[in-house]
Amino acid sequence: MGLNEHVIDYLPAYALGCLDKDEAKLVRSHLQSCATCRGELSVYQSIVEELPFAAQEHRPPADLKTRILERIQQPESRGVGPRLRAWWDAVIQSYQRIAPAWGLASMVFVLALIVSNYYFWQQAAVAQNLAHDNLQVVALTGTETNPEARGMIVISRDGDHGTLVADGLPVLDEDHQYQLWLIRDGDRVSGGVFSVKEDGYVSMWVGAPDPLGSYSAFGITIEPAGGSPGPTGTKVLGGEL
Amino acid sequence: MGGERLDYQFLDDQALIRLVAQAQTEALSALYDRYGRLVFSMALNTVGDHSLAEEITQDVYMRVWEKAHTYQAEYGKVVTWITSIARYRAIDVLRHQRARPEGHRAAWEDSSFVEGMNSGLVEEAVESLQQKQRIRQAIAQLPEGQRLALSMAFFQGYSHSEISAAINEPLGTVKTRIRLAMQKLREALYDEQVPSREI
Repeated sequence: MGLNEHVIDYLPAYALGCLDKDEAKLVRSHLQSCATCRGELSVYQSIVEELPFAAQEHRPPADLKTRILERIQQPESRGVGPRLRAWWDAVIQSYQRIAPAWGLASMVFVLALIVSNYYFWQQAAVAQNLAHDNLQVVALTGTETNPEARGMIVISRDGDHGTLVADGLPVLDEDHQYQLWLIRDGDRVSGGVFSVKEDGYVSMWVGAPDPLGSYSAFGITIEPAGGSPGPTGTKVLGGEL
Repeated sequence: MGGERLDYQFLDDQALIRLVAQAQTEALSALYDRYGRLVFSMALNTVGDHSLAEEITQDVYMRVWEKAHTYQAEYGKVVTWITSIARYRAIDVLRHQRARPEGHRAAWEDSSFVEGMNSGLVEEAVESLQQKQRIRQAIAQLPEGQRLALSMAFFQGYSHSEISAAINEPLGTVKTRIRLAMQKLREALYDEQVPSREI
């Protein structure tokens, strides 16, 4: 096979992963510069994705699920287990440090937000990851156009990712969604696109190309459904780290 | 707002994986209810040993638990991600054993047997049933030689050369069987003609 030819005949096997090494290497090299073959490959990859559903079915032992769940409860499976009281105290202390100007009414509102979703917070890995004192909580405040909106981003202890919780956001039409922006040195990268439930509530895992703790500010705007490369619409929430 | 206990069986896969990323064991439990049998079946079809298949299934769900935060929807469905983990783990275990189990051959499910997914989401359950029916019927239409080569490649991670040696058929024959099998599946699943080699 020459590199200048298309490699279409090899793609089914490549998608399956059963090409011999030399052929696989040549195909890989060819794919880097051939959109046609990459398009064909994606079709065969879709077929490979279907094959598990054709496997002869076998019922696992009844206790396998229990064993799996016991195993994940082991301390080494995800770091230390949740220390709810320590986490709760740390959230409150951090909140008080970063938002002293909010005043009692705002604090009560946000606490009500947390308490009303107590079950969620009770189980969240955020609780695990934030079980120590050096967690970061970014309060998000509503803008003039959306003064009722409130939120926070709770950043994991390692700063790698976080959870966005927000409330009071109006439900948008089907052509629009909210988009989270992570801001650093004037640049903005998308932290995710989301819609809110009928009650204006959202909770969403947030990841980023770089550790979340490396961004200096966060904002949420209204964008076309699916999101935009950069902020184009009305800002509804914002906060600084 | 909020305060009510989540009914996980009515959450879609993406919601479940997000909750797994936040260490909600009930979400992992729900994903096991949906795909545990699938993962175990793939593992057993690969290694041919129940104990090993159980270990592999545990490993897969541990991986899902530990890496849920890395899942990105734009790269594919949650079930695709889970089955990929399962496939690679099972093949890895098989290779580590350094010998394929004597006489073991992975098998394709009978096209007339279809059991639904354990999910409260009617749409997802229906789609899952239809998906299973389509692929099983498509594979049932393949000649035996193509089905065998496909199963050895997919479940046991055999290369062309390894299949050729295992079934004592010429390498060219094996290559053709794999290619034709996949092309026929493509025509059956996507109702399209396969393009010719040179474009």
